[in-house]
Amino acid sequence: MLTLENVSVSYGGLMALNGISLQVGAGEFVAVVGPNGAGKTTLFKTISGTVPAAGGEITFAGQNLLAVPPAQRPHLGIAHVPEGRQVFSSLTVLENLEMGAYTRAGKAKWEENLALIFQLFPRLKDRTKQLAGTLSGGEQQMLSIGRGLASAPQILMLDEPSLGLAPAVADAIFEVIEQIHRERGLAILLVEQRVAEALESCDHGYVMESGQMVLTGTHETLVSDKRVKQTYLGM
Amino acid sequence: MAQRMRSPYVAVAAVAVAYLAVAFSIENTYYQLMITLMLLWSVMALSWNALSGYSGMVSFGHASFWGLGAYTVTLALVKFDIVPWLGIPMAIVVGTVAAVLIGYPTFRLRGHYFALAMLAYPLALLYIFEWAGYQEVPLPMKREHPVLYMQFADQRMYVLLAVVLLVVAMLISLKVERSRFGLALLAIKQNEPAAEAAGIDELKWKLFAIMLSGALGSAAGGLYALVLLIVTPQAVFGVLVSAQALVLTLFGGVGTVWGAVIGAAILVPLAEMLNGELGSILPGIQGVVYGMAIIAVILLAPEGLYWRVRDWLVHRGTLQPSAALAIGSRPQAGLVARAIEPAALPAAAGPLLELRGVSRSFGGLQALQDVTFSVPAGILQGIIGPNGSGKTTLFNVLNGFLRPDQGEIRFNGQSLVGLKPNGVCRLGIGRTFQVVRTFPRMSVLQNAIVGALVAAPDDREAEELALGALVRVGLRERAGVLAGVLTNKERRLMELARALASRPRLILMDETLAGLAPKETDELLELLQQFNAQGLTIVIIEHTMRAMVRLASNFIVLDHGRMVTQGKPEEVVHDKRVIEAYLGKRWMDRVNT
Amino acid sequence: MDVYPLWLENTLQTLATGVLVGGAYALMCVGLGLIFGVMRVINFAQGDFMMLGMYAAFYLFTYLGIGTVFGVYLGPIVAAFLAGPIVFVVAWVLHWLMLSRVSGTAAHGVEGEGHYAQLILTLGIALVLQNGGLIVFGSWPQSIRTPLSKEAWLLGPVFLNESRVVAFAVAVGLALLLYLFLNLSNLGKALRAAADNSDAAIYMGIDVDRAHRLAFAIGIALTAVAGGLVAMYYPFQPYVGLDFVIIMYTGVVLGGLGSIMGAFWGGMTVGLVQQLSTLILPIQLQNTAIFVVFLGIVMFRPQGLFGRSAERM
Repeated sequence: MLTLENVSVSYGGLMALNGISLQVGAGEFVAVVGPNGAGKTTLFKTISGTVPAAGGEITFAGQNLLAVPPAQRPHLGIAHVPEGRQVFSSLTVLENLEMGAYTRAGKAKWEENLALIFQLFPRLKDRTKQLAGTLSGGEQQMLSIGRGLASAPQILMLDEPSLGLAPAVADAIFEVIEQIHRERGLAILLVEQRVAEALESCDHGYVMESGQMVLTGTHETLVSDKRVKQTYLGM
Repeated sequence: MAQRMRSPYVAVAAVAVAYLAVAFSIENTYYQLMITLMLLWSVMALSWNALSGYSGMVSFGHASFWGLGAYTVTLALVKFDIVPWLGIPMAIVVGTVAAVLIGYPTFRLRGHYFALAMLAYPLALLYIFEWAGYQEVPLPMKREHPVLYMQFADQRMYVLLAVVLLVVAMLISLKVERSRFGLALLAIKQNEPAAEAAGIDELKWKLFAIMLSGALGSAAGGLYALVLLIVTPQAVFGVLVSAQALVLTLFGGVGTVWGAVIGAAILVPLAEMLNGELGSILPGIQGVVYGMAIIAVILLAPEGLYWRVRDWLVHRGTLQPSAALAIGSRPQAGLVARAIEPAALPAAAGPLLELRGVSRSFGGLQALQDVTFSVPAGILQGIIGPNGSGKTTLFNVLNGFLRPDQGEIRFNGQSLVGLKPNGVCRLGIGRTFQVVRTFPRMSVLQNAIVGALVAAPDDREAEELALGALVRVGLRERAGVLAGVLTNKERRLMELARALASRPRLILMDETLAGLAPKETDELLELLQQFNAQGLTIVIIEHTMRAMVRLASNFIVLDHGRMVTQGKPEEVVHDKRVIEAYLGKRWMDRVNT
Repeated sequence: MDVYPLWLENTLQTLATGVLVGGAYALMCVGLGLIFGVMRVINFAQGDFMMLGMYAAFYLFTYLGIGTVFGVYLGPIVAAFLAGPIVFVVAWVLHWLMLSRVSGTAAHGVEGEGHYAQLILTLGIALVLQNGGLIVFGSWPQSIRTPLSKEAWLLGPVFLNESRVVAFAVAVGLALLLYLFLNLSNLGKALRAAADNSDAAIYMGIDVDRAHRLAFAIGIALTAVAGGLVAMYYPFQPYVGLDFVIIMYTGVVLGGLGSIMGAFWGGMTVGLVQQLSTLILPIQLQNTAIFVVFLGIVMFRPQGLFGRSAERM
């Protein structure tokens, strides 16, 4: 469904992404792991269009994504849950979700999606009128994911949903992500530092380092690959 | 070489001679007046350039200086019969004092707030002068002593005076461009945090810049009053005055003495001529011209005419590319490229760096919580921890970008809490950044010189130190290249050289290895180990442990702002808490089962 | 007739005038606040767009038949309202041709020196409008003459100039409409989202550049309508914008840069400060009093008097 072929990005002469290729099939769960500075967030921004690609091809549902203006891409069914949550802090929780449903598909399925979001994250339901900026980190992450779901996407891209969260909260978030994937059959592209969580639930995984894909494989092969641990711990 | 060094002074002389020649060869007094105005506006543009051009703090209120100068000269003459020969120096004093009074509080403001505040000063002055009854102050005619009162029958005398003023202003500007003053301002303009961290006292240099600005602007304003013989608040404090100073410089080219002169030489006569020809039918034509000029410049050539033409000439190969600043742009002859050694450590009892109970929070987020550790002199200390664990915040607290909410930090026995980054740097702590902070439009050598300024009172010595630092990191061959074109590894090395050039005892390195290929990482590691062996204490943050286990002799592990553990690499890597922090709880669970 | 002590009468009169004048200021400030809030651009030309609004209302009323059709009471208000769409179009086109090239996604990731391009561009637009205004409209001060300007309602000991009351009511009404638009309509919420976090807004499928253009044009149109209303009691010439631009910025800064509704209360406060200052200061210094307030706020309470700061430093 989403295919990246040989995608490169450079920031003022610096290669941030170097010939990245990646595939996410419909309903598939794909994880990209790698240490800080590997270029994972840049990868997401390139797919969303807030960072221009210097070379390569990105296709989504058969369409050349690089020719689509960034603000049109969510309307095609790509939901980007950005790193650091980035909720609209001066808008209420409900308004944040409404903004998620700004896409055509999201508007059409608003009622249904809202019910689903509240079912996944009951804590949001109690706080619909609260300003998003006053939520806790975990709640903001829930809102950010909820906002992504509200757009009725084909693929949900999650950028480090565990960032800065206490372990228990992060675990809860991961469970919901798995649940979404399992029950809704939604394609998921996850970027994570927490290797175990990410690799455990994925169908297919990639390990990134210094703007390149250094390892790729199925869930089973990666989990037992010693090199993954080495990338992180060095020994 | 010596010929080239003097060429700007030849150019200054050429400008002066050209203006005088034109003024003295024409009879038409209207054109002579126009030449005077071109000269005065050149000075005013140089005044604007001195602050905004070099430091990048864009001022929308330079009319304050122009107007104060004009009114000082006028009122001194009208009220106290003080001749302009004294009045203009008085105006310069008033302008300089006003500059301090405006600059000191306003430099605390950033971006939008600075721009707005600067706009308000001349407008406030405008209303005050109107209220005080100076709506229209004519200068009394003193026909009996024309020379004493600067009331010459011959317009050309004004041209002469204005040429003298312009030459002085240009020479001062050139001097600034070619000294550490200019280099410091340029560094501030290109990357403020990096400049502070490299030991540049921002406030000091900005105040110097605005004082120079005030002096030049009020001198020109004072002479302007004498030329026009009448002063009104609207004419000297109005927005058009501030705007004109800005437009002329932007149009001609920012950050160079030539931009101001070129801008005034083109736009002033154009606007004056249109005003003269069409002013009666199209009364606002002058302002429209300036407005259009601004819009055109911003949309078509934001760098201004001088740089545009220069780039074009460089492109054609007619000119050698070189940075605008002389300091470091042509290394002085006889400079010894000696690899520098780290500064010797005074024998102080106890650890070099000591933290006790350091905490810092942002809003509700506790970024650092009760962090306590000490770094003995001479070691290579690694700080590790997952993304968001507070490593960079720790560095920002250490080098003065952030103040700790609680806790004590001592370096060599001296408290660091409350010091600004430049003060911390002065004490001997260098820093590199996670995302490399370069001064992209300076040469590699100049980048290093910025770091060296704090360690060397003399500009030549600073150049030597900087060159030595470049030799040390292996960038000697790249000294003349613009920093913006370096590769990632070279930038990292250059930033390291900049830190080394300040002769630090301790360097804080933030993810220096991020984004490097394995081979490059190895080279850098080797370099750091060499420095460390020579006695430099290094504290390095790194996310990936792979490199760190080979580098550091000791680890501190942070997670969620707390120190998890501390110890030898091999112990730390096998610590359950560390593996959990990095790879997650489930990884641990699986390993255990 | 009741007898009040003179000082009390003066104070009440000043307070009333302050509130009435403040209403129009509040609408201008809301317009400017919307632009800053969404685009993070300082628009120096805001006062000059207001001047355009004044002249548009003036010509509509005096020469284009609005005065004759709607009469001298309703006419000025209709003219002020119609000035809005006219200036809206001008602003829309200017944003499209010029501002969009140095702001919004075009300036994405630009820091430091870069963001001055926007300020300087609006300064250029301001110069062209002011001086072009001088060419087109002439320097002679104009005003929209209507009986409202001369008549007053009496409330206790306080005279309420009718034109000011009408301007106040219309201005507050429009500000309320904007508030409802921003909080109830989907488009309004999208504008707020784009203002809050433009990257995240793009991820929601909001066209941020279009949101900017809309905010710019609406903000300027509101200020232009406020200008049209003020034109009933304030004589104007092409340079009139300068008198107002600092008033507007003071209001916006008082309300907290970036807070759109804070700007409303900020504008009100400026009206009060300006009028109250005349009790203790010479009348020529009333604008200087505003500058002092402005500098004080900027220096000591940059987050504004009301609420939190939305400015990301």
